[in-house]
Amino acid sequence: MKRQTMQSVLMAATIASGLLVGVPAFAAGTLTVSSPQDPGSWDPIDTFLINWASVSTNIYDGLTYRGPDMKLVPALATKWEELDDGKRIRFTLRKGVTFHDGEPFDADAVKFTFDRLLGDEGKKGPQRANYSVIDKVEVISPDVVDFHLSAPDPVLLTKLAGYGAMIVPPKYITEKGDDYFNAHPVGTGPFKFVSYEPKIGIKLEAYPQHWGGAPKLDKLEYRFIAEPATAVAELQAGRVDIVIPPTIPVGMLPTIAGDAKLKVVSVAGPGVDALRFNPKSGITKDERVRRALIMAVDRDTIIKTILAGQAEPIASFQGARSFGYDPSMKPLPFDPKQAKALLKEAGVKPGATVQIDVRGNDATMIEVAQAVSAYLGAVGVTATIKTYETNVLLNDIIPAGKTGEMFQQKWGGWTFDYDNTAYAMYHTGQKWNPYDSDPKLDAMLESQRSITDRAKREQILQQIAHYVADRVLEMPLYNSNAIYGVNKRVKNFEPAPDNRMRLSGVSVE
Amino acid sequence: MAGFLLKRFALAIFVMIVVTLVVSFAIRMTGDPALMLAQGSGSVTEEDLVRIREGLGLNQSFAAQYFAFLKGLLTFDFGRSFLGGTPVSLLIASALPATLGLAFASLAVSIVISIPLGIAAAVHRGRWPDQAIRILSLVGLSFPNFWLATMLVLLFAIVVNWLPPSGMEGWQSFVMPAATMGIILTATNVRLVRTAMLDILGSQFIMVTRAKGLSERVVLYKHALRNCAIPLITYFGLQFGGLLGGIVVVERVFNWPGMGTLAFDAIGARDYPVLQAVICVLSLLIVLVNLAVDIAYGLIDPRIRTE
Repeated sequence: MKRQTMQSVLMAATIASGLLVGVPAFAAGTLTVSSPQDPGSWDPIDTFLINWASVSTNIYDGLTYRGPDMKLVPALATKWEELDDGKRIRFTLRKGVTFHDGEPFDADAVKFTFDRLLGDEGKKGPQRANYSVIDKVEVISPDVVDFHLSAPDPVLLTKLAGYGAMIVPPKYITEKGDDYFNAHPVGTGPFKFVSYEPKIGIKLEAYPQHWGGAPKLDKLEYRFIAEPATAVAELQAGRVDIVIPPTIPVGMLPTIAGDAKLKVVSVAGPGVDALRFNPKSGITKDERVRRALIMAVDRDTIIKTILAGQAEPIASFQGARSFGYDPSMKPLPFDPKQAKALLKEAGVKPGATVQIDVRGNDATMIEVAQAVSAYLGAVGVTATIKTYETNVLLNDIIPAGKTGEMFQQKWGGWTFDYDNTAYAMYHTGQKWNPYDSDPKLDAMLESQRSITDRAKREQILQQIAHYVADRVLEMPLYNSNAIYGVNKRVKNFEPAPDNRMRLSGVSVE
Repeated sequence: MAGFLLKRFALAIFVMIVVTLVVSFAIRMTGDPALMLAQGSGSVTEEDLVRIREGLGLNQSFAAQYFAFLKGLLTFDFGRSFLGGTPVSLLIASALPATLGLAFASLAVSIVISIPLGIAAAVHRGRWPDQAIRILSLVGLSFPNFWLATMLVLLFAIVVNWLPPSGMEGWQSFVMPAATMGIILTATNVRLVRTAMLDILGSQFIMVTRAKGLSERVVLYKHALRNCAIPLITYFGLQFGGLLGGIVVVERVFNWPGMGTLAFDAIGARDYPVLQAVICVLSLLIVLVNLAVDIAYGLIDPRIRTE
């Protein structure tokens, strides 16, 4: 009797659970993605949030395309040639392409896009600065355009593959207006817009006429979920198929690994972390001390333990994918003995103090800073950790030169070009370079900006990296991975290092 | 009554001005929204920041910005979000019902649980049901709401998969967030109901009702409870304000598209227009609820009405 009761209770519970959950969560061919932020507008000129790009890469095309393999390939432009010593680029456009609303894509659309980006509409957005080298776009014929540049820009072709350079429909925007376009984007990409609910999500569907072939999915939906634990719970509950970065912290990896339905997919991203030294005050004034502090810290162990292996050691402020990376350059070794000797030589007494300033919302970095502090303690330097709210650290503490002896720098641009970070970090007068001014370094940083000869430019960027390491401006820590949590029913998913993931080749079971 | 309402209305405006002034001023001390917008682009020059600030109207003085905000308020125009330029009124229009729905559901959960439990504790004062309820309420009080929320998600969304872990999709979505908030409110409310009941149960008119031979049920729920109503309603009303504060955390854990989520994102991005509007609307709401409580007194207690 008792057993029967138990059974009926169980049965009732099963039925109830079936009723509560209702129909299976997925229709055939729908992929649901959890993204940590709603960019608020889908207009390419409005934001620079990477989570704008993780959606919009599916809606829009650029003249060029760069996929997960980081190779630049033709997209809306089938070929291009540099003229006038790199000051003019001629693009031949793809024929027969239409926007999602039926409007044809041609040279006028390209001109419209860049006139808009560089004109009044683009003025208040964050995008314009990246394309300001473009003087004007000239229509040569319906499928040929010339870009006139004020100076050669070696990174321009990469920049044309994303963000502000996404080609937008002239007629649609002129007729419907900017506000409407913000919330109802139209492009030429493999997925077309269906609906958008601010702070909740955006839904797309396949655009079978895409020039690159029809997507394998019928529908592609994004939900905005900021809290990592919530996003992972949705993934575990099977209501989300992919959780994209930056969401999942290293600490949650075991949860995903422990679930048979799920897997962790990761790839080295653009983000690098370093602890920059304050060369103006405290014991870090002395170059030998800075070198000693680096050698005192076992960065490989930190990566293996605290970062669960989801990072690579770095010798300069860039990862291995970055243009300007020198594979022959090795990080300073972990050598506490040598560190102690250097400290002694520099006259640093045991018990000398340093303060490490870090971003308070960066849980991983706080743990890393604690480990660094312990390692420094082992060579007789007492380190205290001070956490700041990110905005305060970036807007006030660093620019005003109010940091401790060491402070966190965490950067990386989607272009994966060392110039992007190096210039901002080391050039005199830059916002986040409050202490250092080195004319030689300035000259090197400036010189590479207008060289279009890749090999020559790469060489200069590598020289910059070596020069910075020789002057020991920072303690390079690691290049962290972009971490994706993925349901195993998702097939053919290739993680994009820069979060600009195009999901047309992905399918679901 | 009209004079009373007018006074309350003036008070509401005063509260809103003070609150928005403090918030607008304070958030401007802590960071630059232009930088938050431009950050992803790698090297940001001061010119870029100046250009973006100009676009957002941040180059004007604080007084000018604040008065523009007040002027907008008069026409229910809260301006546009710095993040993407969505009109703030649109964001509020979809977030406010979500938050109110959750707040009322939580309050309802708490009232439905705490009244019978509180009465039971009062009736069995000093005996085991009373002790058990008091211990439970202490345990409930000690739960941090984010912890409780996480445990509920783990159990009901992942282990048994009965409820959606987050979002606002149907009535199922309300269960866990409302329970999280409700349980924590219940912990304090039980004690309150118990104390109020103990007061009343000792009074002479209760003795009279019992002497009349009325059933215990009628004595407790009809006569005793009604006389506890004034302190309880005051307290539930006050609680509503606290509830709106606490909802930020619960909304974040359950990815609830409400005012808390809006505020949380706005603070992170230094999205001044959104933050100012959220604070403004919430403070107005708290003032209105307090007003409603005052009016409710009159409806419940005829003695107050005639005064």
